[in-house]
Amino acid sequence: MTLALNLDRKAEAAAVVHSRGMPHRRIEEWKYSDLKSALGEKGLGAVMAEWLVGNLPAGVEMFDLAQPNPPSWVMAHVARPTQNVMSAASLALSAGGVAFRVPEGAMITAPMKVEFFGAGHVRALLVLEKGASLTLVEGVGAADFRNVGLEISLGENARLEHVRISPNAPDAVLVEEASLHIAAGGRYRGHFAAFGSKLARMELEIALEGEGAEAHLSGVAVLDGKRHSDVTTHVIHRQGDTNSTQLFKHVAAGQARAVYQGKVTVAKGADGSDSSQTAKALLLGDQSEADLKPELEIFADDVKCAHGAAVGDLDAESLFYLRARGIPEAQARGLLLQAFLQDAIAEIENTDQRELVRAELLTALKGIA
Amino acid sequence: MLEIKNLHVAVEGREILRGLSLSIQPGEVHAIMGPNGSGKSTLSYVLAGRDGYDITEGSITYNGENLVALPPEERAAKGVFLAMQYPVEIPGVTTMTFLKTALNSQRRERGESDLDAVSVLKLVRAKAKTLNVSEEMLKRALNVGFSGGEKKRLEILQMALFEPKLAILDETDSGLDIDALRLVAEGVNALRDPSRAMLVITHYQRLLDYIVPDRIHVLARGRIVAEGGKELALELEAKGYEQLVKEPA
Repeated sequence: MTLALNLDRKAEAAAVVHSRGMPHRRIEEWKYSDLKSALGEKGLGAVMAEWLVGNLPAGVEMFDLAQPNPPSWVMAHVARPTQNVMSAASLALSAGGVAFRVPEGAMITAPMKVEFFGAGHVRALLVLEKGASLTLVEGVGAADFRNVGLEISLGENARLEHVRISPNAPDAVLVEEASLHIAAGGRYRGHFAAFGSKLARMELEIALEGEGAEAHLSGVAVLDGKRHSDVTTHVIHRQGDTNSTQLFKHVAAGQARAVYQGKVTVAKGADGSDSSQTAKALLLGDQSEADLKPELEIFADDVKCAHGAAVGDLDAESLFYLRARGIPEAQARGLLLQAFLQDAIAEIENTDQRELVRAELLTALKGIA
Repeated sequence: MLEIKNLHVAVEGREILRGLSLSIQPGEVHAIMGPNGSGKSTLSYVLAGRDGYDITEGSITYNGENLVALPPEERAAKGVFLAMQYPVEIPGVTTMTFLKTALNSQRRERGESDLDAVSVLKLVRAKAKTLNVSEEMLKRALNVGFSGGEKKRLEILQMALFEPKLAILDETDSGLDIDALRLVAEGVNALRDPSRAMLVITHYQRLLDYIVPDRIHVLARGRIVAEGGKELALELEAKGYEQLVKEPA
């Protein structure tokens, strides 16, 4: 009997978890997100979290990773070795998950909806073969602690739009690691809306492996109370003429904390690569915090890399202008916050999803403006 | 309509206005002229209700009401309008959305019903045409990428739309070439009305060739140092501010 998440792979992952240990704030990548203290004595646990497919469009193949005898496309892509401790943990501590395949050339128009829920660890794999296209809508249920290890493989010229909404769940600890491999001409667009948890972290490691491969990441966070949201990205331009953009806009009120850590690596020989990173945060409270850390690591020549980060308060002059035109203060603040988030929302190409995110943001903003 | 008495205003502890008094009746157009740093913009911001301007002495009465006690949005709803020297750019809010939100906010504050999007659009289009504000400008983000002239035209469009009782024009001529200035001035003149008062703040006499005031006040070192009819502007143009604003012996 063959298993996708077999004992050899799990043992290898367990060794990574064992050698690295539980992430805490003295580890640079986890400086702003102390998982160890958020979990306390309960630790990582070893239960399996659950998944639910809300809509499986015709033409998408699905496989339950807990089942024996996985098809060859699963074996070709699943459970690649990783040094990421939480991704390794999701493999070591979980017996299952779900895998999807969009076959070569299939253009799927209906969004595929997948939700992860319950406490524990779970794995997921999404394979888009050459020329395939899909919209993935990822739902995130609240849980005491859940860790999702997601792998995505995009074949040549494949196109994926991924929209993920992390809910307002003040007591939850929700972490997810997505590892992506993108072949020549492949394009990934990922959008991450977050409303904050006790600790919420979305980590992306994206390898642009063929000429013309693209990754476009955007995100918005609206956080209040003591909520936390962390988006940590690492985009690696392995080949030349690859392109990546990142645009993250965060609003933190109360004692909330918004984190963006983004690293772009341009490998040796990846000439002609183009990358940009923008992260901005507005702090509405004296005790709100934003940690923005864009980073560049360049080993190639002739590359275009831009990055910028800014933390501020609502612009007093803009606020006065709107109020002087008769718009009440709370409404004017709301309008300016929407305006601040607007360009990051506009990155979502799927109209329904864009409007859904916008509506959720409006609701969240009403609470804090 | 507007009665300013012995107004003293400090910004960050520094006194900018030092005993300014001014009275404007409905239908009148008054001009305030003065050199840089005389307190012209401070006066306009204080009238509109901007934060950070401390009134340490004196009073501002508007239609019998203490204006100072009202937040900016209530002043706007009661008919106070400030056309700003530097209209702010707000990316992410379209000009049309802004106009509709502002108009309906003022109406709501006055206990009037909201206008629907179609009615607002009709109203805006009618005013926009005479001010040469294009449909395309209305669709763009508020003031973003607008030229100096476009920004000022949009300020006057708002004035036409909100129909204020007291309009304050702060250096509306700054940054405008002569054609743009003429267009803006025509827009302002079209809004002259027996029930509306205007306060035109400017450094240069040039604007007053086009918007002819009933009365001119010269502001220097935080108070009015000279007053007169429209001919005072010409005198200032010829002699400069220096003579008028000299410290009294």
